[in-house]
Amino acid sequence: MNKPVFGLLLGGFLGIFDGLTSWFTPAVRDQLMGIVIGSTIKGIIAGVLIGYFAKKVNNVALGTIFGLAVGALLAFGVCQMQGGKYYFEIMLPGSILGLVVGLATQKFPARTTS
Amino acid sequence: MNVDRLRRVISAPDVSGTRYKLLEEIAHGGMGVIWSAIDTQLDRKVALKVLPVWDGQRDTPGSELLLREAGVLATLEHPGIVPIHDAGTLPDGRVYYAMKLVEGRQLADARAGASRGDLLRLLQRVIEPVAFAHSCGIIHRDLKPENVMVGAFGEVLVMDWGVAKLASTGAESGVIGTPAYMAPEQAAGQNDRVDERADIYGLGGILRFLLEGQVIPRPLAAIVATATAAEPDSRYASAVALSADIARFLDAEPVSVYRERWWEIVLRWTLRNHTLLLLLLAYLIMRGLTLFFLGR
Amino acid sequence: MNFPPTHYSAVREASSSEAGARGRAWDRLVAAYWQPVLRYIVMKWRVEESEAKDLTQGFFAAAIEKNYFAGYDASKARFRTYLRVCLDGYVANERKSAARAKRGGGAEHVEVDEALLAGKNLDEYFREEWVRSLFGMAVDELRALSEERGKEIAYRLFAKYDLDDEGHDPEASYQRLAAEFGLPATQVTNHLAWARREFRRIVLASLRELTATDEEFREEARALLGVSLGGSE
Repeated sequence: MNKPVFGLLLGGFLGIFDGLTSWFTPAVRDQLMGIVIGSTIKGIIAGVLIGYFAKKVNNVALGTIFGLAVGALLAFGVCQMQGGKYYFEIMLPGSILGLVVGLATQKFPARTTS
Repeated sequence: MNVDRLRRVISAPDVSGTRYKLLEEIAHGGMGVIWSAIDTQLDRKVALKVLPVWDGQRDTPGSELLLREAGVLATLEHPGIVPIHDAGTLPDGRVYYAMKLVEGRQLADARAGASRGDLLRLLQRVIEPVAFAHSCGIIHRDLKPENVMVGAFGEVLVMDWGVAKLASTGAESGVIGTPAYMAPEQAAGQNDRVDERADIYGLGGILRFLLEGQVIPRPLAAIVATATAAEPDSRYASAVALSADIARFLDAEPVSVYRERWWEIVLRWTLRNHTLLLLLLAYLIMRGLTLFFLGR
Repeated sequence: MNFPPTHYSAVREASSSEAGARGRAWDRLVAAYWQPVLRYIVMKWRVEESEAKDLTQGFFAAAIEKNYFAGYDASKARFRTYLRVCLDGYVANERKSAARAKRGGGAEHVEVDEALLAGKNLDEYFREEWVRSLFGMAVDELRALSEERGKEIAYRLFAKYDLDDEGHDPEASYQRLAAEFGLPATQVTNHLAWARREFRRIVLASLRELTATDEEFREEARALLGVSLGGSE
């Protein structure tokens, strides 16, 4: 498995999980399916981008910061699509998950020396 | 008449007419006496190893051993093995060899205050010259903490190759080595069974020495136990294999001589990836907090 | 383990059937051990020097006449130790006889002067006196050799530098000696090197004569030079 694929899978998985947590917010519970799908797509896109970055750049600090930035940016986009609402609830977890994917793709899968 | 002064006159190697100027005696043991000296041609300090005056004339068993040691050192060119500069016979008939003067600390002193990781990396640096010697077909046979020096810049040198043997030579009589760090087959005088794995035993003894007084995790204890197994066949087959397992331990990877239980695997993975897990935990806490406050 | 003898040994030759060889061997042994035996008797038995001389004379006479050292076995003990045991036995008997003659009683009880021993036991004291005797003999031989070879200057430098009982800084001393003797410092170095080399050779040759086997020679060399190399005294 290469890093972009790993990023895709991890980002997608975390996106599903993140989307499912919206079930605990009664106000948006009826939109759960849409939220999960959107969160998953966001996670996949972020994961592929971050994974590709990790493939090219071997630096934990840079990879983590890149992940944070991508996660925050995509989360910001989602907020804008929601009419500029739920910044705190969407951007903060989105940024942290970007951090997680950034760090994880730097470490896994282990790089092979050519 | 000052008897002690005359004793020194007799004991001191006669370097008149040579390129060396004696400074002081720095060590003596069963295999000779080491003096610091100045090489006046190259203007540098060296160490001279000579045999005691009653034992060091050419063609004595002692001098043959010393010259053999010089030959071994000349063969082994490695940063972890003290380089030899010169060998010959002094005006008083004693054989000698000149080597780099190592100014540093013994392993016992270098051990003080070091973390377990540092100690393990130190041992890896001890293993390197030993593995190199093995690749040249030479076995040290007297590996012990006292024969490892750590230089001023952290360089590690394996010293005293006086009882080293070529792996291909036949058995010698007698017990050779230092009892506390000697492999059982060596202690039993079975010199035909002594091979590179006897040095593995010595390295294991050094590892045990370095870890004295520390809590030793099971995988590391298994490494020590394997290195110091009574039977040669039960030890690591090579110094490289021992070093590789130490590297795995340092990288929080499973070592080859220890089968982990499931919870040990989980714990090791957790410790290895603690940053990632902390971030996930941070996400969950943050998620929980936002849901809690939104819910209110 | 018995080591085959490989060098001339006065200890062995003392029991030779040939009178000339026996005589030479005893001369050597007496020369080496006279002073240590004398000093030891004074120290251990607290007798006057004149009485100690008589006892020393008597001991060696008895040793030669009765061939005390014929029973010596190098594998069991050093010759020096064996001699001292023989000496203790001889002196104890002599003093018993003397005491009986004086008052019909047993042997006197003698206390050793601890202060004179300076922290050593009697064995160490005997060894140190033996070393002193050996070195003394070697210095005399060196002097004779230097006269024979026209190298008196080397002996005088050696006596000044290595025999004089004073601490000194080597570099300053060489310069001082060079000035005193009107020689370049390099010649001082060369002369001293010659003298020391010969002194070393003479001492080791004497030691070989005074031991029975190579193994004993090595052990006694360690004792002589005060070096412990993993073996015991």
